[in-house]
Amino acid sequence: MTLIELQGINKTYNNGQPLHVLKGIDLNIDRGEFVSIMGASGSGKSTLLNILGILDNYDTGTYMLNGNLIKDLSETQAADYRNRMIGFIFQSFNLISFKTAVENVELPLYYQGVPRKKRHEMAMDYLERLGLGQWANHFPNQMSGGQKQRVAIARALITKPEIILADEPTGALDSKTSVEVMQLLKQLNKQQGITIIVVTHEGGVANETDKIIHIKDGMIGQIEENTSHNAWGGSVIK
Amino acid sequence: MKWFDKDTFREILDSISRNKSRSLLTGFGVFWGVFMLMLLSGGGQGFKNLITKEFEGFAQNSGFVFANQTSKPYKGFKKGRSWDLNLADVERLRNLVPELELVTGTVNLWSRKIVRDDIVATFSVRGCTSEYAQIECPQMRYGRYITEADNAQERKVCVIGKRVYNELFPNGGDPCGQRISVDGAYYTVVGVDWNEGSVSIMANTSQCVVIPINQARRAYNMGNKITLLCFTGKEGVVMSDITPRVREVVARAHYLDPTDEQGVMMFDSQLIFGIIDNLFNGISFLVWLIGLGTLIAGVIGVSNIMMVSVKERTTEIGIRRAIGATPNQVLGQIISESIVLTLVAGMGAIVLSVLILAGVEMALTEEGILKAAFQVSFGLAVLATSLLTVLGVAAGIMPALRAMGIKPVDAMRDK
Repeated sequence: MTLIELQGINKTYNNGQPLHVLKGIDLNIDRGEFVSIMGASGSGKSTLLNILGILDNYDTGTYMLNGNLIKDLSETQAADYRNRMIGFIFQSFNLISFKTAVENVELPLYYQGVPRKKRHEMAMDYLERLGLGQWANHFPNQMSGGQKQRVAIARALITKPEIILADEPTGALDSKTSVEVMQLLKQLNKQQGITIIVVTHEGGVANETDKIIHIKDGMIGQIEENTSHNAWGGSVIK
Repeated sequence: MKWFDKDTFREILDSISRNKSRSLLTGFGVFWGVFMLMLLSGGGQGFKNLITKEFEGFAQNSGFVFANQTSKPYKGFKKGRSWDLNLADVERLRNLVPELELVTGTVNLWSRKIVRDDIVATFSVRGCTSEYAQIECPQMRYGRYITEADNAQERKVCVIGKRVYNELFPNGGDPCGQRISVDGAYYTVVGVDWNEGSVSIMANTSQCVVIPINQARRAYNMGNKITLLCFTGKEGVVMSDITPRVREVVARAHYLDPTDEQGVMMFDSQLIFGIIDNLFNGISFLVWLIGLGTLIAGVIGVSNIMMVSVKERTTEIGIRRAIGATPNQVLGQIISESIVLTLVAGMGAIVLSVLILAGVEMALTEEGILKAAFQVSFGLAVLATSLLTVLGVAAGIMPALRAMGIKPVDAMRDK
């Protein structure tokens, strides 16, 4: 079943010199897929991810998310979609520094209006599942990169989203924790059937996913099925 | 969206309390503004009370007449003639100047020998009626004031002033019922007047032994003579408008030139109260100008620092937006933070200034009686608090609008 349907997406930035970043992207992603988007820097992969995450608008084309047309949404509607449908994982974790791990995980539920006690229980539950139970009351600067990213993953998961969008999730991690994080994402995809889209420029990371979408100069190049995880000669995370 | 529930409040409180130095800096401007406003207005008020205290007990629209050597010749009389007021003048003023509310006379004698047991002292004696209490209001520490019956029956009773009491009764206690000798005649003390106003007509009340006027006239063989005519105007009567009439009435009866301002000496309290009122209106205007100015400067400071803090928090706000905060929620949060900051800082300032003013009052309290109230009124505190809320919103609006404009992608750009 198609979850994401992009048709002829164009995006131009008008900062001084117009920059045509996405040049007619057509892309379908089904529910439960584990996909990576690969491309060189400046290829438009982050812009594509921002559009998928309703963080940015596109100029022409259509974007259907779970059967809903995502176009010209008000900020409030966009916020609601992001809150309920999409979980974000960022390269720089983007945890709020003055909040503890558990409070960071709670935050999306706060904006949903979930009562404090309930969301605290849920957040603790997710942190424990990710093995961070005893770190719940630590602040981000007291945790390692891998731990921070797992907190961010817990925060992305807590609203039970349809999709998880990960922008270079291993970009700030060493190879050992990168492997752990990718294993975690893989596990989430397999066990809970969450659709996961990872943007990366690392072959080893992309190789962990089931499908690799290559994007070059704002256009989709090649879509590689990678169920055997043999891309780049079975390259591994360095 | 719920605008005020416990959760939202916790969220705001967290944001404020976990960024202490930022919050402290922000709050200090408002704190200082409110503190200055409160302290200045309390101090100004207290200073005014302190000065007014000197005039305390005086009816604001009272006037006085006393006899002096004439300065103008009149109807064949040379200038420099001495004359005396008498009881008939009281009746004349009552009958001929309808604008007057009350007219009464006093008899004053100076340097009288007052004796109690083996204590000998020198004080003034004032003979007056019960009505005199409306000219110079007594503050009875013990007992009562002179009554009509005291005069009618020519009782030998007296009310003593504070300093008289302190000297004659060094051990304190209620002196009522005890007897003191005034120029050899014994009077029963019936009250102690604690009035300490330093403005006094003829003699300072705290150094007076007050006895019924009829008794005084008889004891000192004064006949109908009185020393001082006291009167108050009816409500709305301007004293300076009626003084010429009063002078004329008195002058006619004693064959004096009705324009002889030296011969018929007059004094009215309205004049002085007017000057003081003007002075203090000016002072409180300045106090408010300075206080409000400081407060507004503080609020602009809050707005400024909030602005910087929003800039600094771009990532945080972007994250909040990315994980589902609506623009309105962000707006609400920033404005609420601003309100809470200004309110907490402002209320802290109110509490501190109230404490300091209370300390000042305590320092000025003598023998359990407060010299002057310095405390700001509850109404002013409430006014200041509601003003703060409004200012808090005002200070928060610009930064909040800017925060609202932050797009979630901005959070990621700051990598």
